[in-house]
Amino acid sequence: MTQASPGGPPPPGSISVAIGGRVRDTSWWRTPTARRYLFGYTLLAPAVLYVGLLVGVPFAFSLYLAMSDASVGSPVARFVGIENFKSALENAVFYTAVRNTLVFTIGAGILKGLLGTTLAFLLLQPFKGRKVVRALLVIPFTLPIAVSVLGWKWMFDSQFSVINWALSRLSLIGGYGSPDWPVWLGQPALALFSVMFVNVWRGFPFSAIVLLAGLTSVPPEVLDAAKVDGASFLQRFRKVIVPMIAPILFIGSAFDTVFTLSDLSIVYLLTNGGPDGATEILPTLAYNTGIRGGALGRGAAISLFLFPLLLPAIVLLLRTLRRRQY
Amino acid sequence: MSDGRAIETNPTRVSRRSLLKGAVAGAAGGHLLTMLDARQAPAQIKGTSLRMLVWSHYVPAYDVWFDTFCKLWGDKTGVKVRVDHIPHLELPARYAAEFAAGAGHDLIYFVGQILTGQYYRNLIDLSDVADGLGKKHGGWLESSKGACQVGGTWYAVPDFFISIPVLWRKDLFASIGMGEPKTWDDLRKAGGQLKAKGHPTGMQFSHCNDANHNWRALMYCFGAKETDPSGQNIAIDSKEMRESLKFGKALYDEGMTPEVFSWDDASDNRFLASGVASWIHDAISAFHSTRITNPKVFEQTFVVPEVAGPGGTWNVGEPNVWAIWKFSKNVAAAKEFITHLADNQKEAMEASLGYNMPFLRGQYAKPMPYLGKDAKLAKLQDQEKITAFLGYPGPMTPPAQEVVTTFIIPDMFTKVARGASIEDTMKWGVGEIRRIYAKHKAS
Repeated sequence: MTQASPGGPPPPGSISVAIGGRVRDTSWWRTPTARRYLFGYTLLAPAVLYVGLLVGVPFAFSLYLAMSDASVGSPVARFVGIENFKSALENAVFYTAVRNTLVFTIGAGILKGLLGTTLAFLLLQPFKGRKVVRALLVIPFTLPIAVSVLGWKWMFDSQFSVINWALSRLSLIGGYGSPDWPVWLGQPALALFSVMFVNVWRGFPFSAIVLLAGLTSVPPEVLDAAKVDGASFLQRFRKVIVPMIAPILFIGSAFDTVFTLSDLSIVYLLTNGGPDGATEILPTLAYNTGIRGGALGRGAAISLFLFPLLLPAIVLLLRTLRRRQY
Repeated sequence: MSDGRAIETNPTRVSRRSLLKGAVAGAAGGHLLTMLDARQAPAQIKGTSLRMLVWSHYVPAYDVWFDTFCKLWGDKTGVKVRVDHIPHLELPARYAAEFAAGAGHDLIYFVGQILTGQYYRNLIDLSDVADGLGKKHGGWLESSKGACQVGGTWYAVPDFFISIPVLWRKDLFASIGMGEPKTWDDLRKAGGQLKAKGHPTGMQFSHCNDANHNWRALMYCFGAKETDPSGQNIAIDSKEMRESLKFGKALYDEGMTPEVFSWDDASDNRFLASGVASWIHDAISAFHSTRITNPKVFEQTFVVPEVAGPGGTWNVGEPNVWAIWKFSKNVAAAKEFITHLADNQKEAMEASLGYNMPFLRGQYAKPMPYLGKDAKLAKLQDQEKITAFLGYPGPMTPPAQEVVTTFIIPDMFTKVARGASIEDTMKWGVGEIRRIYAKHKAS
């Protein structure tokens, strides 16, 4: 039973409890509920702090830069509002970069999905040396990116490309100097395809490993039951496997999308956005404007355009994931 | 990225490169000791340490010489020297990080991108060093000011510049009845005729350093200018620029193959060394690498400082300059080192196989080191008279640098070569350049 305290109403945030005929003030934070909350938040605090420091602070800092006229050599920056974003929208190269970024991300995502799925199913089959093949699979993903891209640069070389020499030997194309000799990094469509291909080569083992982890978690009895019911491979894949491994698939896709969308190294090392912007993507444009060109504010604004591109995809994935969990 | 490069000793396997390095280092070693005896460093730097950040030179032998030079200078002056070499394209990001942290190297180096205009508020005024060296060595080249001064104050001190001449094949030119090329028209004619014989030419149309230099050389030779001499007003929207774009397209259509759209800075070196190229427009590192990889082609490869266009003869060089952060912990030693190196620029030039071109007039006395002894390279001894830098005739200001880093000029030539109309390209390019300059003016 609750009574008013003799001296007037209890102060906000406290409750008065009658115990043995005496009224005692008990602060809310001493209640079991509060203690439970406190315990929960204490456990959560390191993660919140970690995310806040490593993600929140840099994000807030890049927002600050994007709304200032900061340059690499100027410690004091003025607030310029959305001027840098307007400037990016006035830049013709920016639209090329947005288009290329989308083509690069979506194209590479589809290819990695297809190749990763195929590879995961292949690796699921029992065969001699499967463990070795599985271990070898991660090599492209674990090699330092500069080293592997340098290798591809040689393979795409306009004069000494091993791919071209092999194709030429097989009489699929003419010799060096002939009109059908592909210039992998020089022809606009081929250049974009080439940088995308290297991203796929590097990333599809990751997709395959993620899928493999999901596939091995599907109980064989469920698949056997579907087989007995007469479901074909595609039906089993679509109606049984995918729904069961959906959470893993969504998380894998989200990671891959983020990594691909923000991938600077491959394009920077192979073409630096050239020729004539054919492979220009938002990260290279942001880097060349912000760091090499020194206009930090404008560079930060360009890179922040990645955020609205990523946000809907990530929100959609996480919402779908949550719906499937409950 | 490599930090704190160790100096190679006792290599077990002798390659051509290591032999060359060894020969240069050995020859230079004796000179170095003599030079070091000649100058007394101030006593207050003894016992201090100096960290410097430099690029990895295109001529590896030079880095060997440089590291030895630093070590000997350190031994002599009692300064503990640490030299960090990183690829030049990574320098801007490193400087941005050092500046943000307010800590880093005591002595820094700008190459490819001259960031004096960006960082001058945070750099030590080096007028005392520059003026002293100028007086001692007959004055600085006028072009050096655009890379090192802001508002008349020296915030950087020139080290050397890289010249980018024409390297041509005498035998191939002779096969079509031509001698040494004198004009861009000669190069166009030769390119057209020799392409038909399987020997095309090439200049990068891609997003690399050489593309920025080479197409600007053509532009300047046609009389096109990026800005007025103040660097404040854009001057690129001109008849001369249109003419240079038109000529660039003809050069591509008649003498090149599409591979030039994919080239990086080293592709033309390989193109020359492979024996395919009729001529290229590149630094003499291509000349030296061909000497090693294809001696037969090298025998027939000759050098022209630059060819003339309707607007004159202009070679676009690449300056390399020293600067000191205000947060440097050892300004005195850094200044002393800059002075000492400039005093010994002749040795540096020898070690770089004639690659490093001095900025000090007095160091052009003939015969110049290395160049004066090589019949093919001797013509480069007057290179200072025709050298301009990016942004010409204006200084290398932050907007001029942003135009460079966003590859607008090479992209203009690429668009036209690929069939875009000159007027549409001018509209795009001039618009982009105006936007960049307007942004810098507003900030």
